Amino acid sequence: MAALVKEIAFETSHVNGMNLHILQTNKFKTTTIVVLIEQELSLQYATKTALLSLMLKRATARFPESKKLREHLDFLYGAVFDADVAKKGERQLLQIFMEVPNEKYLSESSSVEEQAFQFVGDVMARPYLENGVFAEKFLTTEKESLRQRIESVMNDKMRYANQRVTEEMFKGEPYAISVNGKVEDLAGITAQSLTDYYKELISENPIDIFVVGDVDRTRIENYVKTHITPERKAVKKLPVANESKQVQEIREVVERIDVNQAKLNIGARTNTTYKDDDYPAMIVMNGILGGFPHSKLFINVREKASLAYYAVSRLESHKGVLMMMSGIDANNYDKAVTIIKEQVEDMRQGNISETEMNQTKATLNNQFKEILDSSRLMIDFTYNGLLTGKKRELEELINQLNQVTVDDVKRVAAKVQLDTIYLLRDNKGGA
Amino acid sequence: MQATAFEQLNETLYHEKLENGLNIYLLPKAGFSKTYAVFTTRYGSIDSHFKVAGGQEVHVPDGIAHFLEHKMFEKEDRDVFQQFSQNGASYNAFTSFNRTAYLFSSTDKVEANLDILLNFVQEPWFSDKSVEKEKGIIGQEIEMYNDNPDWKVYMNLIKALFQEHPVRIEIAGTIESISKITKENLYQCYETFYHPANMMLFVVGPFEPEKMLQVIRDNQGKKTFKPAENIERIFPQEPVPVKEKRIEEKLSVGIPKCYIGFKETKLGQTGTDLLKRELSTKIAMDVLFSSSSETYQKLYEAGIITESFDYDYSSEKDYAYSIVGGDTPDPDKYIESIQQAIQDTINKGVQKEDFERSKRKKIGQFLRSLNSIEFIANQFTNYKFNDIDLFQIVPTLESIKQQDVDQRLREHFNFDQMAVSIVRSAAANKE
Repeated sequence: MAALVKEIAFETSHVNGMNLHILQTNKFKTTTIVVLIEQELSLQYATKTALLSLMLKRATARFPESKKLREHLDFLYGAVFDADVAKKGERQLLQIFMEVPNEKYLSESSSVEEQAFQFVGDVMARPYLENGVFAEKFLTTEKESLRQRIESVMNDKMRYANQRVTEEMFKGEPYAISVNGKVEDLAGITAQSLTDYYKELISENPIDIFVVGDVDRTRIENYVKTHITPERKAVKKLPVANESKQVQEIREVVERIDVNQAKLNIGARTNTTYKDDDYPAMIVMNGILGGFPHSKLFINVREKASLAYYAVSRLESHKGVLMMMSGIDANNYDKAVTIIKEQVEDMRQGNISETEMNQTKATLNNQFKEILDSSRLMIDFTYNGLLTGKKRELEELINQLNQVTVDDVKRVAAKVQLDTIYLLRDNKGGA
Repeated sequence: MQATAFEQLNETLYHEKLENGLNIYLLPKAGFSKTYAVFTTRYGSIDSHFKVAGGQEVHVPDGIAHFLEHKMFEKEDRDVFQQFSQNGASYNAFTSFNRTAYLFSSTDKVEANLDILLNFVQEPWFSDKSVEKEKGIIGQEIEMYNDNPDWKVYMNLIKALFQEHPVRIEIAGTIESISKITKENLYQCYETFYHPANMMLFVVGPFEPEKMLQVIRDNQGKKTFKPAENIERIFPQEPVPVKEKRIEEKLSVGIPKCYIGFKETKLGQTGTDLLKRELSTKIAMDVLFSSSSETYQKLYEAGIITESFDYDYSSEKDYAYSIVGGDTPDPDKYIESIQQAIQDTINKGVQKEDFERSKRKKIGQFLRSLNSIEFIANQFTNYKFNDIDLFQIVPTLESIKQQDVDQRLREHFNFDQMAVSIVRSAAANKE
């Protein structure tokens, strides 16, 4: 069944105390650079890391004014540049992203490639400081910016419901922490404390640099060596993350705000993560349950019962979370919960048709092969292996998915424990 | 089959018009894993008033083009979702103001998937029962949009700008309007707008163009179509003034949203003229609002705009508008500042450095967008419906002069043509 899949073959070297991974390909008309700095997800750091990402992209020693910095990026043919934070299980990542056109598609010759590396180096190693610390004037605006970002989660009700169910379900565990941290922390962060934190993070935490494009490996290594030069010490070992926890009883949480459509999120613990042998079976399980428009949730909640426009499940494989989500009329809450629970039970019983199994595998094959068409997805796939210590080859993983049986799905479905049923609903109707 | 090579971009585009009137465009992309195909009809939410075969005028319920898109997937003898899934394809459809598109991507069984796509879109089957069932699903989709502040603030702005033009109709309609839809309406719209002569097929991916064309020819050769009739769409005359200067709506949001729009008055162009108008206006907006502009830096510094700030120009032959907006803690201050910035720039004119920088940036953006086969297929189709060639973007950009942008700045940003839309929480400073 599996056609031969090209492997995602990054070549790795160690430069200036960081890991450099280069993938040479002529598929894309641009060169992509992604820097990932790994941090534990904790109350101590979360807000600081998020704020730091904003400060780093605001100004550098070479471009002390944001206007000049942005003009320089425009000059590099509208280079895409961003710095932000991401969450993978109980890790917070500070990521720097840069993409520039490959010089061979430009009509005039230029040094865009080298300048891109110089710029990334500026951001990481040569920030704009005044008297040795981050500038107060920028700190004030970026704190405000972060506050607004945290508060605007409310604007997107799906995201808000997702954040709230995560907070409820993982109370007391690091995974409950939002990737952008908390508004309450902002006041306590000073230019000095943030600068100290920056120095600590950039010198001790694991740093991986990914480069994808039609590039020459030796040349790139030289650019990194010359331009990306943070002061590095021995790499710090981060504490163990993603400890599992047994569910005592299923909790129900109802929250009321001014909305038209209710959001029903049911969170479950999979007790299976990326590094486990059961990972491929769990992916297939999620696919049959709610990953696609042929899946049980879509067919039964939407197509048969006509209760929702969306009814899906999503897997988070670092912490091991299965989230089932649907947008319903609040009056149909009981009906929807019953149908969703029935679908999970069907998975445990192995009530899975051959068609469901084949469709899911075929679609997953497609999904995983599509990774090869995107530099960001190839980087993400490779980084998952580094982060979990379980390096997976794409072809091997696809083969494993194709070999999953109904018994395997039953086995992993039995490990899935429903944890929290969360409903975000309007202020009007009854309880 | 006609081949056009774009040497600088290293791309070759193939075109063929079949006897039944269908326009086919093929773009081979060696090295990619997936093939993406999009089958589009020139029919969207604005086509609500037209003449059917025989000359009779009809007004159809709001939201019918979108409803029809949903119902195309339902068949008497088969399940299209299941068929695609069996072949591992990802598939979707969308309806916009002026087109309805059906698409899939797959890394395997591309020819079989292409047959499924062409067949399900060309074999309508509607029943009273399935039309009724869909009302529940689309009802939830409408409620989801009603809770989405980004969509609300956007649609309200369109409704404020346009008095008569059907672009002001909600794409999905309202729960009330869709309740009136019958299977007879659906057939009527289908017969009018889904003739191959009103449609376009774009396929991009790692294939042999001759072979791909043969698959399409074979599929179409088996079907018979009535001779294409000229479609008579009836549009009201849109008065020059905007309908309302300001619309406000209450929704629970963390931070208020404010969009400012300008309604275009210089209409009627097609082809290169239309593309030139679009790109000149976009450069003018870049000069005014890009993150390297003085305005952006000043307003960001003052906390009047946030990182959500964005701007765009939508350009069609018969209607066009620009939008500048995002989250802002103080909508009135924001409106005043943007107006002031526009006036200042008009007074002093577009500066040469800003103009050159923006042009360069646009070239880079275009190259980057060519990494995405989804973008190429959809944007190519959209442009082609206006007789514009996507691959003419770089030469057209190069032909634009500073005075063109200056002229657009004065022409388009006329405060008489301006409206604003605001969404904010009922309770001020909630939480």
